[in-house]
Amino acid sequence: MVKLKKIALAVAACGVLMTTAASADVKVGAVYPFSGALALLGQESYRGLEIAVNEMNKAGGLNGEQITILKADAVDPTQAVSETKRLTSEDVAAVFGSYASGISYAATPVTELAGIPYFELGATAHKITTRGYKYLFRSNPNTGLYGVSVVNALHETIAPGMGMSKDDIVIGIIHEDGPYGTDVAATEKARAAELGYKVAEVLPYSAKTVDLSSLILRLKGADVNVVLHTAYQNDAILFFSQSKAAGFDPKIIIGAGGGYSLADTAKAVGPDMNGVFDLDFPQASINPEGAPGLKDFLSAYKTAYNAEPQSGHSLANYVGAKAFLEAMANAKSTDADKIREAVLAYKKDVGTTANGWAFEFGEDGQNNASTFYLMQWQKDDLVTIAPENLALGKPVFNK
Amino acid sequence: MDIFIQLLINGLLLGGAYTIISLGLTLIFGVVRVVNFAHGDFLMVGMYLVYLLAAHVGIHPYVGLIPIAVVLFALGALTQKVIIEPLLDSDEHIQIFATVGLSTILLNLALVLFGANVFRASVQTGVSPITVGGFTMVSGQIITFVVAIGLAVLLHLFMHRTYLGRALRAVAQHRYAALLMGVNVKHVYIVAFGLGTAFVGIAAGLLAPQYPVFPTVGTYFVLTAFVIVVLGGMGSLYGAVAGSMIIGVIDTLAGYYIAPDLKEVVYFGIFLLILVVRPNGLFGFGTE
Repeated sequence: MVKLKKIALAVAACGVLMTTAASADVKVGAVYPFSGALALLGQESYRGLEIAVNEMNKAGGLNGEQITILKADAVDPTQAVSETKRLTSEDVAAVFGSYASGISYAATPVTELAGIPYFELGATAHKITTRGYKYLFRSNPNTGLYGVSVVNALHETIAPGMGMSKDDIVIGIIHEDGPYGTDVAATEKARAAELGYKVAEVLPYSAKTVDLSSLILRLKGADVNVVLHTAYQNDAILFFSQSKAAGFDPKIIIGAGGGYSLADTAKAVGPDMNGVFDLDFPQASINPEGAPGLKDFLSAYKTAYNAEPQSGHSLANYVGAKAFLEAMANAKSTDADKIREAVLAYKKDVGTTANGWAFEFGEDGQNNASTFYLMQWQKDDLVTIAPENLALGKPVFNK
Repeated sequence: MDIFIQLLINGLLLGGAYTIISLGLTLIFGVVRVVNFAHGDFLMVGMYLVYLLAAHVGIHPYVGLIPIAVVLFALGALTQKVIIEPLLDSDEHIQIFATVGLSTILLNLALVLFGANVFRASVQTGVSPITVGGFTMVSGQIITFVVAIGLAVLLHLFMHRTYLGRALRAVAQHRYAALLMGVNVKHVYIVAFGLGTAFVGIAAGLLAPQYPVFPTVGTYFVLTAFVIVVLGGMGSLYGAVAGSMIIGVIDTLAGYYIAPDLKEVVYFGIFLLILVVRPNGLFGFGTE
């Protein structure tokens, strides 16, 4: 009888242990704008994280534990704060996010105070990682590099290709006046000055404007022939249609992501978009030979959502999330300090990830090895033209 | 000098687009005494309808604007009947909450139905530049300007020559006196709200060749229209026309001579100044 009781107790104990083991899955938070005006690319970004997590779970999980994602909808900074607070109270091992810089700015102080690692996979504002935070890391390149990349592309590839020398070029920098446009424009201006280019105009405008005609007249009046534009979608379209009306036809237009990467922008602008250059995160249309894992990502995306990726956001989030999950696995612990150590020690070479990005984190948590790629609209398609190992086409210089 | 004249032309043409939107807004305010925060969202609805008709049925926006104006008249009339009328005796801020709520619903409905994507009714007419004496203009802007002035004249004639128009003016002046004179005030309210909303339907058709359509497109125009209506005098038709031209010209001049990102600051500064110095606006009449 005593023996039976012992066996029953042992069985019960095993049962308790098993349920504890099952409920000890690792929880991670996902802060993205799932609704509201930013929802389209917010959801697209989240899909990258989801695919990375599913892939890891299928391969046995994070050190043997399955990962569960707790979603948090942050349509604006206020909601980002309250939703991130909710996540931190639910015992998450880390928080991933967030697509928009405003949301990232608001969410990260919450995780930092709670001592929980925050992994930014898409927001670009430079200042997110310059606040001395210990548990904040970012996989994607930031606006500090954005403007530099734009001007470097002009200097190294586009101007020589067009047969234009430095003296022929008069640059006009125009940008929406939010943090994204302002940060990119500032680095464009600084880099252009470093390389000795003439910048005739730096003109900010509200992305909500319905009239850019006076801005275009100023560019025209200053004989600008190279326009560096940081825009969202509707202001990019407005710029093209009003430039045409005003007879302003610059030789070179280089966009910095945003509206310039979206197929709908090109559709709305029409043939005038062909020949326009664009710097942005890698898109799905890159040479798979320089991006091992890209094909698997695309087929996983197709299986999960029955569609093609709408932009490069999902791929960038997938690559970033995969890197951070691997670092968490290397840490072999959910302790924030151990994860920090593992992230800082995490290294990947160029051409070894699904979008070709390399990984090497600075003390500030920024991945200094991720870069922007040069693309060009050719025959209504956005074609990657640099770096060479990921290019799918050659630049076209006769507009 | 050439640039200055080009800027003046651009400003006046931009004023044409503002005129149509502001006429509708000021009509609703003048008669029903409701600040319609959903006015911009009705414009957005109109622009989506224009896009759908153009892209899927092949109807040019300039033709499509006629049925769309009728549909928006019905939407406006329905809004008055279903949302505003039950709240007529409530505090003004309750009516404002109601129109803000309607605005939120329409905006999110567009997001659900169309996503945050930008669409454009691709048409050939209305986008070509025309050069006269060295100055360039877009054909669509000229058409918008002419229609705006034509509509303002028609509205003036309607308000002064027809019984219904006189009834609208009577209600605008004093709703209770009009009621005592046998005017069916509720009926007049419905007509005014419908007519005001039909104006943004016309604006939608005229603007579609020049502007893309997305869920928040209306708010961009209407924020300026609010400034115009206050500047011109809330409820004043002449004020709406004059205010539109003034703001259009300030917009382009400030954008060129000061800075493109400060033009809104300039006219919002004017907005505040008018509120302080002349709360009834340039052509405004006092409230009851």
